[in-house]
Amino acid sequence: MTIGLGHYLTVAAILFTLGIFGIFLNRKNVIIILMSIELMLLAVNLNLVAFSAALGDLAGQVFALLILTVAAGEAAIGLAILVVYIRNRGTIAVEDINLMKG
Amino acid sequence: MVAALVLMPLLGALAAGFFGRLLGDRGAQIVTSGLLVASAVLSWIVFFDVALGHQAAYKVQLATWMSSGALQVDWALRVDALTAVMLVVVNTVSALVHIYSVGYMAEDPHVPRFQAYLSLFTFAMLMLVTADNLVQTFFGWEGVGLASYLLIGFWYKKPSANAAAIKAFVVNRVGDFGFAIGIFAIFFVFGSVSYDTIFAAAPAVAGKTFNFLGYDLDIMTTICLLLFIGCCGKSAQLGLHTWLPDAMEGPTPVSALIHAATMVTAGVFLVARCSPLFELAPVALQVVTVVGASTAFFAATVGLVQTDIKRVIAYSTCSQLGYMFFAAGVGAYEASIFHLFTHAFFKALLFLGAGSVIHAMHHEQDMRHMGGLWRHIKFTYAVMWIGSLALAGIPLFAGYFSKDTILEVAYAAHSGPGTYAFWLGSAAAAMTAFYSWRLLFMTFHGKARWAGHGHDDHGHAHTPHESPLTMTVPLALLALGAALAGMIFYDNFVGNLREVFWAGSIHVAAGNHVLEEAHHVPEWAKLLPLVLSLGGILVAFWFYILRPRLPVALAETNPLLYRFLLNKWYFDELYDFIFVRPAFALGRLFWKGGDGRVIDGLGPDGVSARVLDLARRAARLQTGYVYHYAFAMLIGVAALVTWYVYRIGVTS
Amino acid sequence: MTAALSNDLVLAIPELILAIGAMALLLLGAFRGEGAAGLVNWAAVGVLALAAWATLAGTGEAPRLAFSRLFVVDDFARFMKLLVLLGAALTLPMARSFMARAGAERFEFGVLVLLATLGMLVMISANDLITLYVGLELQSLALYVLAAFLRDDAKSTEAGLKYFVLGALSSGMLLYGASLIYGFSGTTNFVDLAATLGHGDGTGPAIGVVVGIVFLSAGLAFKVSAVPFHMWTPDVYEGAPTPVTAFFAAAPKVAAMALFVRTMISPLGDLAPQWQQIIVFMAVASMLLGAFAAIGQSNLKRLLAYSSIGHVGYALVGLAAGGLQGVRGVLVYMAIYMVMTLGSFGCLLAMRRGGQMVERVDELGGLSRTNPMLAFVLAALMFSLAGIPPLAGFFAKYFVFVAAIDAGLVVLSVIGMLASVVSGFYYLRVVKVMYFDDAVGPLDRPIPLPVRLVVTASGLLTVLYFIVPAPLLVSAEAAAKSLMP
Repeated sequence: MTIGLGHYLTVAAILFTLGIFGIFLNRKNVIIILMSIELMLLAVNLNLVAFSAALGDLAGQVFALLILTVAAGEAAIGLAILVVYIRNRGTIAVEDINLMKG
Repeated sequence: MVAALVLMPLLGALAAGFFGRLLGDRGAQIVTSGLLVASAVLSWIVFFDVALGHQAAYKVQLATWMSSGALQVDWALRVDALTAVMLVVVNTVSALVHIYSVGYMAEDPHVPRFQAYLSLFTFAMLMLVTADNLVQTFFGWEGVGLASYLLIGFWYKKPSANAAAIKAFVVNRVGDFGFAIGIFAIFFVFGSVSYDTIFAAAPAVAGKTFNFLGYDLDIMTTICLLLFIGCCGKSAQLGLHTWLPDAMEGPTPVSALIHAATMVTAGVFLVARCSPLFELAPVALQVVTVVGASTAFFAATVGLVQTDIKRVIAYSTCSQLGYMFFAAGVGAYEASIFHLFTHAFFKALLFLGAGSVIHAMHHEQDMRHMGGLWRHIKFTYAVMWIGSLALAGIPLFAGYFSKDTILEVAYAAHSGPGTYAFWLGSAAAAMTAFYSWRLLFMTFHGKARWAGHGHDDHGHAHTPHESPLTMTVPLALLALGAALAGMIFYDNFVGNLREVFWAGSIHVAAGNHVLEEAHHVPEWAKLLPLVLSLGGILVAFWFYILRPRLPVALAETNPLLYRFLLNKWYFDELYDFIFVRPAFALGRLFWKGGDGRVIDGLGPDGVSARVLDLARRAARLQTGYVYHYAFAMLIGVAALVTWYVYRIGVTS
Repeated sequence: MTAALSNDLVLAIPELILAIGAMALLLLGAFRGEGAAGLVNWAAVGVLALAAWATLAGTGEAPRLAFSRLFVVDDFARFMKLLVLLGAALTLPMARSFMARAGAERFEFGVLVLLATLGMLVMISANDLITLYVGLELQSLALYVLAAFLRDDAKSTEAGLKYFVLGALSSGMLLYGASLIYGFSGTTNFVDLAATLGHGDGTGPAIGVVVGIVFLSAGLAFKVSAVPFHMWTPDVYEGAPTPVTAFFAAAPKVAAMALFVRTMISPLGDLAPQWQQIIVFMAVASMLLGAFAAIGQSNLKRLLAYSSIGHVGYALVGLAAGGLQGVRGVLVYMAIYMVMTLGSFGCLLAMRRGGQMVERVDELGGLSRTNPMLAFVLAALMFSLAGIPPLAGFFAKYFVFVAAIDAGLVVLSVIGMLASVVSGFYYLRVVKVMYFDDAVGPLDRPIPLPVRLVVTASGLLTVLYFIVPAPLLVSAEAAAKSLMP
């Protein structure tokens, strides 16, 4: 069996779905949400690289590199916000992020 | 001058109505009465210029009211002999009533409001009589209706007054509906609402028919009958008369001004104004004659047994209006207006005299609780005699000239309806004399039955007292009119000078010589009304002075007839059964079921309740949990993808 | 090569000014320390003004591409960039006194606003999915930090966290969509995309592209906070510091709407029959939710958040209509909306009682007596937001609805008007509380001068717009024309 574009896309789709599910099924820890976001971006990168290879076009790989860069910044900012949040509330349980509603 | 004459009462009404508090009671009385007196003086000048001085009729264009396609309506004042007569009647009586009210309403807490309403009424009435087109007439027509409603319900704390006001309004609305349709029909047929245009085009339309529900109807007859329905409502003719007696709930000056002298005669005026139309509709005229004669007779019979002093006069008014209508019905519009003119004086006099009696009796109106008053209020007693003599048509007094003329023209008409009117009118004349003297005898003669019946406790001694000067002076002036108006104006109104006097403002068909022939009726027909009237007076004397037990015995031996008359031929009960109760039931159905449940339920209340409901739900969606938010986004994306894929599947 | 590069750089001068300015101010702040906050704030306003001035250059020219077609400059971009720069420049001075009282007067604020604005400008000029993503992230990352700017405040940090998590999710979706579009069409460039997607051979686009478009629109809809991707808006608006909320409601919304419109009209323009229904659905859902959910709100910031969701719905009506008229409607709407919303938040910033911000509707009681001018302006803004003639808000709605009716979207317009009626409920409630309820007490004085100026200016613009509506209409028309193929 040769591994084709379809396989890559399927894996990426599964990873992406896992990432999304990680965000809304997880009620305990915000860190897990950060990980899920990384998972989603990973899936996207996989997609882009697979397409890039299949199309013989470099743009996809450039895009993937940019995403990697931005994702690093995003993770940093996410963690920083998480730190100030923990300082204020002393918890990182997702269920407790509920001061504002209605 | 005419514009000033018409607008001054409006000015007074606005001043007293909006700045009544500022002006105070006295100020409001002075402003409104002053303006009215000025207006009355101007009306007499107009009367001398136009009617007596034979100046040509003219129009004063004030403004364009509305202009829409073919419909062109102006604010314009039309001044001709007919208008001049009405101006004099309206403004003279109104000015006297304004002054009279100063004394009569002295103890009322709402004097400025009362004066404002009176002036407002006068303005509307003047608009009515000076109108140059039907729409403006209708404006005045509705204006007087409104003022009448406001004044009948002036003592709004009295439930009976409110009920009477509503009754007057609603019954008048029935008539107005006919009037309005009549105006629509005229506009439809003639393409104009202006009197001149209509009158000029009317002969061309005479005899033409239109088809309605399979019947061929005469156009002129239909229009005139529709207009006459309006007149019936306003002038309390048989069928639509029920509001007038109840309207006596209003203050007595109001009864004198609106429900005797002016507003109720608007119907008669309208028939005279539209004489060029009515002359072309003989069937309609016959209807007018029959309805008028029937009213004259019916109201007189009811007047025989009433015990409320004002109600007696009210039925008398109703009856006299019947005379005016059948006079017009047989083609003698001049006689009709002549009677309107004299009637205004003596009926206003009677009402104001009754007001003076009521004032003296501290607002007691039941004649059974009066008696022997002539010693205490001699002046009132005297003017009431004059009024009654005029009403009964005793020679030399005003009523004699106008009423006898009417009965003569009815006889001279030599037609079925005319003869019907002559006989019913003569019978009514006898009854009129009877109830007039019954009123005089019960009120002023016999034993004093008023001890212990002083009604309001405002600390006066309980002896009847004569009214103040503000009330007696108007009475004196009206008494003068009631005594002399007939004699002075006979020749001008219906005598030899009538053609130059009216100068075409009343149109009489070429073949219509009924007034001429009236001078040549047999002697017995001329004398009959007088004889009958004298007979009525004698019977009254016999019943109430010589044998006071007799009326009671008569009522006891004929209970059916007595109750029939006492209950006014059961008109109110009949209407209550046929119209009022079903209307109430229908109204309740629409109100509770239609409006309350369906419209409010589905409309404002329901919608606002649903909105708040939705708002609560929408806010509850926002739980505050991140995972719910993420879930909502995912659902959104999933739904959109599904929809897209489905759509592409459908299109390709 | 160098000539081409310098030519490209000329087109990007506003962005360069912002980038260099932001970095210079960052260095300045880093060297001078906390004391530099005031200086940085005003300097940032200066940088924004400079960028605005640079943006105006070349107005009216034909659209020009730069950086290997990654970047486009046209009148549409200029119009939107000016709005964004104006929104940013007005919030900065208003924020100073607030931040000072909150004990958070830090120089990073100005720098972050500059960086966010830079991201917005890049978004507006994006002509490629990559540029789109980079601009969007640059904007978003700065905004996450701004939302959590009051780092000792539980609500502010919670707002930042929520915004971050959901924003990252939306970015993931957008990226996934972008990757699918790239894979199935073979390009990320808008011009090539338009050519590929618009070949019109009757088969319609590949299913992968369509799924990609849906994910991409979901990401964009999140940024403009259209239903059902709006959930973050009320919480973030309520939790973020008020000047930041004002900034959120003004600049990023305009930029995101610009990006949304450009993406839908230029590369996906030929697929309009496909995406029109999405936009219609989002518009209807946003208008209705904005109208209904705001009714129960007692917090003014939250109320304005729902109101902004509703207004995005109205703007999307214009996008759904499409064409020159529709786009012009969106542009006019966003311009007027930005003025109104800045004014409303300015009023919020002006109200402080006993040192506490006035944020609840019932705290406005009797404002007409204690502070009649402010009450008048706020009432005018509320009437305008409700769309009552002759105020500016009416014209904004009028143009989008006219466009929608001309495009045959009658039902959509009727729903919009009904939603507008319902939304009148809560706008008028604010007016009623101010004018008819018992007075709560006088406000603290004085109101900071920048706030007063912004409130006055937006009040005047809102009330008097009907006198000279032409300049806005004409420039919006020119901007819309430059976007049309």
